[in-house]
Amino acid sequence: MRKLFVLFTIALALIISGAALAQDSEPQYAGLDMDLSGITIRMATIGGGQYEAMYGSIPVFEEATGARVEIVALLDGFAIDQKLKLDFATGAVDYDVAWDHTSFVAQYVPFLEPLNPYFTEEELAQFSPAILDAATINGNLLLIPRHADVSALHYRADLYNNPDIAEAYRAATGMELTVPTTLEEIDRQARFFVQNGYSTYGYGMAGKEEALTGRFYEFLFASGGALFNENFEPTFNDAIGVQVATLLREWYRDGILPPDTTSLLWDGDAQNFCNGDVALKLEWYGWYSYFQDAASCPRIAGNFGLARGPIGFDNPGATHTGWAGAHAFSIPAAAQNKQAAAQLIKFLTSERVAYEEAQLGFLPVRDDVWARLIEDASRSDVELNRIRLETARIQINEDFRTPPLIAEWIPFSNIFFPQLQAIILGDVEPQAGLDAAAEATRQLMADAGYYN
Amino acid sequence: MISGAVAPRKRLNIVLTNTLAWIVLIALALPALWIVLTAFRPASEINASPPIWIPREITFDAFATMFGLNPNVRQRVAVERYLINSLTIALISTTISVAIGTLAGYAFARFKFRYHTTAFLLLMFSRSIPGVALSLPLFLLFVRLGLVNNLLGVSFVYVAINIPFTVWLMDGFFRQIPYDLTEAAYIDGCSHWQAFWRIDLPLALPGLTTAAIFAFLASWNEFQIASVLTRSVDARTFPPGLFVFTEQFTVDWRGMCAMSVIMMVPAIVFVILTQRNLVRGLTFGAVKG
Amino acid sequence: MILPSFVLILIVTGFPLLYSIYVSFTDYNLLRPGSDVFRADIMFRNYERLINDPIFRRSLGNTILFLFVTVNLEYVLALGLSQLLARVTKGQGIMRTMLMIPMMFAPILVGFQFRWFFNAEVGLVNNALLSLGVTQTKIAWLVDEPLGMIAIMIATIWMNLPVTTIILLAGTLSLPSEMYEAAEVDGAGAWQKFRHITFPMLAPFTYIALTIRSLDVARAFDIVRMMTDGGPAHRTELIWTYVTRLAIEDSRFGMGAAMSLITVVISLFFTVYFFRQLVKVRIVQ
Repeated sequence: MRKLFVLFTIALALIISGAALAQDSEPQYAGLDMDLSGITIRMATIGGGQYEAMYGSIPVFEEATGARVEIVALLDGFAIDQKLKLDFATGAVDYDVAWDHTSFVAQYVPFLEPLNPYFTEEELAQFSPAILDAATINGNLLLIPRHADVSALHYRADLYNNPDIAEAYRAATGMELTVPTTLEEIDRQARFFVQNGYSTYGYGMAGKEEALTGRFYEFLFASGGALFNENFEPTFNDAIGVQVATLLREWYRDGILPPDTTSLLWDGDAQNFCNGDVALKLEWYGWYSYFQDAASCPRIAGNFGLARGPIGFDNPGATHTGWAGAHAFSIPAAAQNKQAAAQLIKFLTSERVAYEEAQLGFLPVRDDVWARLIEDASRSDVELNRIRLETARIQINEDFRTPPLIAEWIPFSNIFFPQLQAIILGDVEPQAGLDAAAEATRQLMADAGYYN
Repeated sequence: MISGAVAPRKRLNIVLTNTLAWIVLIALALPALWIVLTAFRPASEINASPPIWIPREITFDAFATMFGLNPNVRQRVAVERYLINSLTIALISTTISVAIGTLAGYAFARFKFRYHTTAFLLLMFSRSIPGVALSLPLFLLFVRLGLVNNLLGVSFVYVAINIPFTVWLMDGFFRQIPYDLTEAAYIDGCSHWQAFWRIDLPLALPGLTTAAIFAFLASWNEFQIASVLTRSVDARTFPPGLFVFTEQFTVDWRGMCAMSVIMMVPAIVFVILTQRNLVRGLTFGAVKG
Repeated sequence: MILPSFVLILIVTGFPLLYSIYVSFTDYNLLRPGSDVFRADIMFRNYERLINDPIFRRSLGNTILFLFVTVNLEYVLALGLSQLLARVTKGQGIMRTMLMIPMMFAPILVGFQFRWFFNAEVGLVNNALLSLGVTQTKIAWLVDEPLGMIAIMIATIWMNLPVTTIILLAGTLSLPSEMYEAAEVDGAGAWQKFRHITFPMLAPFTYIALTIRSLDVARAFDIVRMMTDGGPAHRTELIWTYVTRLAIEDSRFGMGAAMSLITVVISLFFTVYFFRQLVKVRIVQ
């Protein structure tokens, strides 16, 4: 009976895929080719409106494989991270598929199942090699990416389309007002916009937690600096680090940044851009549909632009910004149904599901999905849709930089960001603040056994 | 104080007192009012700059979405489940902690025994251990005992958390009752138990009510332990449920406020039903006098 | 009569306490299996580091300040409000219910809301101050020192004022009325009645309220966590925000446990102090 069913499913899959091949335009599901009747796959994953849309496709998987999928936790990124940590530490894992993220995966290493045995080369071929690389620790692939994000320069388009402002800028600086491509240009233009009253604030950024650490990190590497050297000794308190920290401090002092920057997280920061109070900012593509929605952001919907991240300060090794990361799925080592879990992950990261999710504005991690999106965008009336995808693709291919893949990333960030805040607020001098953070970081890394 | 002929000056005083009380209470309720208004606003008015003080239209969208009545949005919150879980946990833990705590409070107030002071201090001390320090070891313990994701398990913890407060409060109230009354009851042939049940307990009703209200609301609103000990919708209470509205980058303010409004209804009902006993305590006091 | 209370409390808090004490002498990291094994060379390391940690000292100072101001201010306001409510002649029931409204919101929601009330750009507080002309510039409430501290105090007091008020109100209502009648016969005014009858008679309730609120303020941190989470630059760092960041976010549970225990010891002193006061008040009676 079961054999018959399997044969039938395979035949069905063949027919469907055959039909699809004939049409050559239908994106494909994957992971449906195994009979999983009677198995319940439990999943702990990220929740929230946009993230949850994907889970709507799960009935297709249940129908085809006979498995039952139960979502046991739907939490936001930081909450699910804390849940995973507690569960891993106490052995309370009762799920087969877990949310994961390239910035977090290094913490979970001892508790994750290596995925190499469950995926063929062919199945992995479509995924971005840079992301798979970032997810391979000690030769073990620990996650399968779902979608990616990278920070891009967002700007208020009205400031750059207005001939009067352009004229005033030329008069003031002797330069043309074009969308900035370097940190120095951002500095010059942001100051100009604020000093002449064209924009309330020149630059916007989230000013606490990992959000702040990450923004510093990308300015730092874009200016040729680094958080750590190859021995994981902190190097962010060198001249470049001081240069970046001083820039942020002066921006804050001069009113380029909103006065409550250090209390803002993603939502508060994005709200300022949404309200049209901020001229320039580095921001995730993930906000695109929100900013383009005239109901939530009437001031900037249809009135903002996107560009590749700027090049940092002019030091050796300077490059484009591009703090990046990818949401993903993993299988806990303590999972009950690992093979079934792998099948569900194959399905959730399949071309079809990924393509559907990309419709919401997420950046895909599969080449086949990219190809489809770019083709779709070429038919769109909104020019920014096309620019967005082109820019994003360049960034994902060339500027994709994850934070250091160490389990101590979050503990490091929790040491670092309050010190940077103190520098920004003027409580401490840049060099002294960074030195203090470096000292505490060194102890953290030593405790973790990095210098043995 | 209330009865008797009312002189004009006294009448003015009463009017002033009442007015002042209303002003203070309304001021105190303003932030709450804002939360309620947010639940009924159109989404675009929330966090608008410049602000929109009075909603231009009232919408029930947030509630419709929550109860799965909005065809465009998948239902994300098992409100009914949360309601049942929260009520079960709050009622069980309130009943038990008030019952046990009142007995202990009575014992502390009326009887002398060895280690009286030490026991009393230990109780209080147990309340000083913070949730962070409690939650992980408790989780370890409860996993072994099979009490994780279990309504009784959570109730159990809340009982323990609420007891010290109840004991202290009840001890205070029982001490307030003149011992002559209890003694008179003994002379009339009452047992300890009868004296407690007929004389002391009714007179301490304002204290009992206070303790019950606090225990109920503390259990109703507790977040930290609930978020660790409840692992699925089967046992989750409202406060961890509120977190469904926070997303990676944004917060659904309206949804959160709407859920808080729903959360408030049973709490208000409970308070309205029980707070009468504060008055009754007063009348008992008057009878006694 | 006392036994059931103790059995329950021992299970729920006794085990966690012992476990925390043990773990505080290790370098337990949640995500490093085996790190909870005791090692002689690490024994007092957590405590040594804490004593030398300027952030810990700062958070301790902040916590004490927060505790002192919040509990005292709350008490004074609650005392006034409870006396006002005790005299109200009409609508006591509605008023009491209204009074308890702030308690009916989960602290995490209150924290979220007050973060937005105090937001510099779109927050209600700034908008109100600007439209009333009190200020011309947007105040960065949650960033400023000491305004950030004041903001979290306001939210905490708002949420917990009813707790203290109810205790004092219930206490006032339970006072024997014959004492007032006697005082009235003697021609005492309202202030004298309060000064010489109500306030001294309320003393046990005062200490109960102060003790409970001190312990709760010292541990309650949902509101602070949501509003400032100790930031920026540790300006509003309380012990609990710091412990949570270390123990859960950073997985450094051993260190977190050590810090918790230090504060438990401090709470113990508070408790004993208030208890002594309470006993004194009883003897006076």
